Amino acid sequence: MRVPYGWLMEYIDTDASPEELAHVLTMGGLEVEEIEDWTSEDGQASDKVLITSVTSNRGDLLSMIGVARHAAALLDVEFTPPEMSLPATDEPIRADDDLTEGDTRVQILDLEGCPRYSALRVTGVDVGPSPEWLAHRLEAAGIRPISNVVDATNYVVWETGQPLHAFDHRLLIDGHIIVRRAEPGERMLTIDDQWRYLTPDDLVICDPKGPVALAGIMGGLDSEVRKLTKDVLLESAHFNPTLIRRTSQRLPLSTEASYRFERYVDPNLTLPALARAAQLILDSAGGEIVGPALDVRTEEFELRAITMRPDRCNAVLGTDLSGQEMEELLKRLGLEVRMQYGLSVRGVETYLGGGVPVAEEDREGAPGRPAVKLPEPDALLVTVPTHRPDLEREIDLIEEVAIVHGYDSIPMTLPRAGNAAAVLTREQKLERRVREVMRAAGVCESLSFSMMGQHDLDSIGLPEDAPERSALRLRDPVSAHEDLMRTTLLPSLFDAARDNVRQRVQDVALFEVSRVFLPAPPAEGKPSAGEEEGAQAPRGLPEERRRLGAIVMGSVMTSGWNLPAEVAEADFYWLKGLVEQLCRSLGLDEVVFERARHPSLHPGRSAQLLVSGEYAGALGEVAPEVRDAYDLQHPAYVMELDLEVLFQHAQLQAHYEPVPRMPAALRDLALVVPDDEEHDASTLTTAVEQAAGDELASVEVFDVYEDPERLGAGNKQIALRLTFRHPERTLTDDEVDALMRTITQRLERDLSARVRDW
Amino acid sequence: MEESIRQLSDQARAALEAATTEEELEAERRRFLGRKGLLREIRQGLKDLPEEDRPAVGKLINQTTRQLEALLEQRRQKLASGKAAFPEDRLDVTLPGRAPLIAGKHPLLATMEDMIEIFLGLGYLVAEGPEIEDYYHAFEALNYPEDHPAMDEQMTFYVEDDVLLRSQTSTVQIRVMEKQEPPVRVVVPGRCYRRDTVDATHCHTFYQLEGLLVDEGITFADLKGTLQAFAEGMFGPEVRVRFRPDFFPFTEPSAEFAVSCFICGGVGCRVCSGTGWLELGGAGMVDPNVLAGVGYDTERYTGFAFGVGIERFAMLRYGIKDIRVFYSGDMRVLTQF
Ligand SMILES: [Zn+2]
Repeated sequence: MRVPYGWLMEYIDTDASPEELAHVLTMGGLEVEEIEDWTSEDGQASDKVLITSVTSNRGDLLSMIGVARHAAALLDVEFTPPEMSLPATDEPIRADDDLTEGDTRVQILDLEGCPRYSALRVTGVDVGPSPEWLAHRLEAAGIRPISNVVDATNYVVWETGQPLHAFDHRLLIDGHIIVRRAEPGERMLTIDDQWRYLTPDDLVICDPKGPVALAGIMGGLDSEVRKLTKDVLLESAHFNPTLIRRTSQRLPLSTEASYRFERYVDPNLTLPALARAAQLILDSAGGEIVGPALDVRTEEFELRAITMRPDRCNAVLGTDLSGQEMEELLKRLGLEVRMQYGLSVRGVETYLGGGVPVAEEDREGAPGRPAVKLPEPDALLVTVPTHRPDLEREIDLIEEVAIVHGYDSIPMTLPRAGNAAAVLTREQKLERRVREVMRAAGVCESLSFSMMGQHDLDSIGLPEDAPERSALRLRDPVSAHEDLMRTTLLPSLFDAARDNVRQRVQDVALFEVSRVFLPAPPAEGKPSAGEEEGAQAPRGLPEERRRLGAIVMGSVMTSGWNLPAEVAEADFYWLKGLVEQLCRSLGLDEVVFERARHPSLHPGRSAQLLVSGEYAGALGEVAPEVRDAYDLQHPAYVMELDLEVLFQHAQLQAHYEPVPRMPAALRDLALVVPDDEEHDASTLTTAVEQAAGDELASVEVFDVYEDPERLGAGNKQIALRLTFRHPERTLTDDEVDALMRTITQRLERDLSARVRDW
Repeated sequence: MEESIRQLSDQARAALEAATTEEELEAERRRFLGRKGLLREIRQGLKDLPEEDRPAVGKLINQTTRQLEALLEQRRQKLASGKAAFPEDRLDVTLPGRAPLIAGKHPLLATMEDMIEIFLGLGYLVAEGPEIEDYYHAFEALNYPEDHPAMDEQMTFYVEDDVLLRSQTSTVQIRVMEKQEPPVRVVVPGRCYRRDTVDATHCHTFYQLEGLLVDEGITFADLKGTLQAFAEGMFGPEVRVRFRPDFFPFTEPSAEFAVSCFICGGVGCRVCSGTGWLELGGAGMVDPNVLAGVGYDTERYTGFAFGVGIERFAMLRYGIKDIRVFYSGDMRVLTQF
């Protein structure tokens, strides 16, 4: 809110500068974001304007008076509100929900939406420009001056926080105000010349013909005060915050009035605000007040009493304040405080143990008498005025004590130590390890957004029935291409690759550990009897799974000047090697790579990872169609692994095996086999393992080559290195040779492999 | 046969070791490994052996040859290193080295981990919770009044009425307290979402670190001391912490906390917009309604909570001016960390 400094100083007795005031307010819970040097358009007036940011619990600070009252409390100085009462002869008249006085009738049909409606009639006004001082103040507050009558109401809104509305009394049918809910299909033209289409959720001010104002939000065009208006009906009401908020959000239409009503306006402010506005109108537009003010309400809006225990206050704040000090602090806020001893409450004439009354002035030590030291009260009984609806509980008062005392004045201590050492959980440690392995392999850590769009799912080549397509949809996305919660990390990896290529960066290696969101399946069980058919089953929260995604393209070395491209650049086996190392460092032992189809991957160059038989993700070369979709000219390699699966089988701690004492016997074996899926490396090594006995310690592929001339077309040669070892003794050459014979025979028989001589 | 091969091997080793110049070494090579050398001679004897013995012996010869060649190379280098000044052995040491890149941590995650380390040291466990939440955990349990303007600041993304993207990590406070009795001492790092359009200073995605301590006798003074300790851990012992009143439905008293600007030391500069302070987050004493909502005895237990935005920290730390940098996949960005 814009708070002109000069205006504010009218209510408080201080010579604090704008800067000092801004500091005090900010440290007292009303943040001053900026101090603006303001000069009026006509150059005749200037002021400093404090721009405040009001928290949503403090509607009372949305007025000059509210700010002044708070500043005075913080500065501990006098606060003088303006005179706001009607002439004594004009005592307001009151009724529960229907009241007629002269030519005016106010009728509330929805007391929940409008617990109080006050009105006052002023006739014989001359609508014209406002006096300069008032126009300047409104201008400083950021409100465009319109006419003396309208400006007076706006001025009072700013000064008191009570929204007002001025109707032209003659334009209201029968001078009859009806507060009710809108009827279905009803509409009205508001003063901004917009048609507003209403629903029964909206509260409207009507005359017998129809709506004349959108309650608490904006007046209607047809009944507004205009140049020729002579007869004004001022509205000052209290509306239900939730109702105003809902209509304001639905339309959407937010005004100075709705902003205040949403944050609760003091219901006891309706009459003082009317008096203040009437006074300003009489001063600037002439005319006279007709009859008493009308005040329609059933409620009394009484003050609230709350108990605060000083012990509790100190226990929450960590302070050592006495009950008397707390009392002083709360009184500065304008709260009424009484001390409570045992079960009895005493007022200012506090009783000491022996029943000796102590007058208020004695506490300070009246002249000639020593100050009486009062015992600690058991509680403070605090009466809260209706402009502080936020003060309802003991803790609310404790906060007020803290604010007026000053957060700076509260000491700093450390809580006593916990009784257990804090360490990361197993999953947290594993996640850190995954990220470490990836970084150590030269893959950069990146983050990308959790939202994706339909086009992402299309670009990565998903078929229509792919499970990734059933993603949660945001009701109100920031943009149309970010309306789904991602079910896969692949689109953002491809995006990153494309963006790099566009920037002429050819070498890409990046990864991300983030969550994907898989919609929860509909709740189990049959719909209960009576439930409508086709009614949507209640659904739980989605499943969030941590995934590791990575993409690699081009060189994976910092420099490759003396390396051939096929060594420096990543390929399928580089990526697979990385996954193998990752699995090794997670202590996974049952790790299997299988040829597998994946919609985003090259059909012949992709694999799935199985960990202890469970699917843990896919890796491979990006499919040509997907490469085209992302304008990638060069081969790229991606993986997406499910960390939840990996972590489930992972072993945080390695288990040490003593290194073997016995020497190993090495043998090489070159096999010529058809180059087909039945003769994959894993088939051959598995066959070797099965044929060899326990003495085979390991079998590794160390060379693969194709040469149609020497090997025959469609054949390949795979060279294996076999390591034999016996746990207790050195194997003899004869023993190893015998094993080798068994192995070769088996391979020749079962896999029609040809063993080549060296 | 095998025996003679082994003898020859021993002889050759001795000779290669004994050679003191490259010329001598070359002579020994020719003697043992050359085309008319002793090993070749032995190999030619293979054909005289019975068929079944040939592979084993052939293998031994191969093995011996490999071992001797390796030794020869080793000796050659040894002798050559004695005269590295020879131009033909010179390397251009200014050519770039060849290594895999060792990638750095993402700046946001690195900053967050540094914060976590401080709190681990102060005895806080690290808790995590869902990014997609229900209304109860996101608002109701955090004491948000229904249909209140306090919800506006959250700018929440909704999937359904009851399913939404969390706008703060505070939701995890509830999930942690639901599962355990006090004392509770956790920090919660995580990704949050608000309906904000993306530009240099705004983003619909951001990271927060939440802290929660509930125990007997916890005070606002403890909150101040804890955040002072945290700030010192992040910025060094000179830093000062400032608290001013603020409003959050789930804490009371509530505070906004700031640290003295580490760029200008609190005098005022461009980074701190001349105020001398950098606002880092919100904090406060856990509202009794929140504690009661999870079934804690509010007379016995008090607690504090705080939340820190990670982006601002990280931007200050690395000199990043555009928040979108954190979500960039540009290798020219990522390789800087
Ligand atoms: Zn600074």
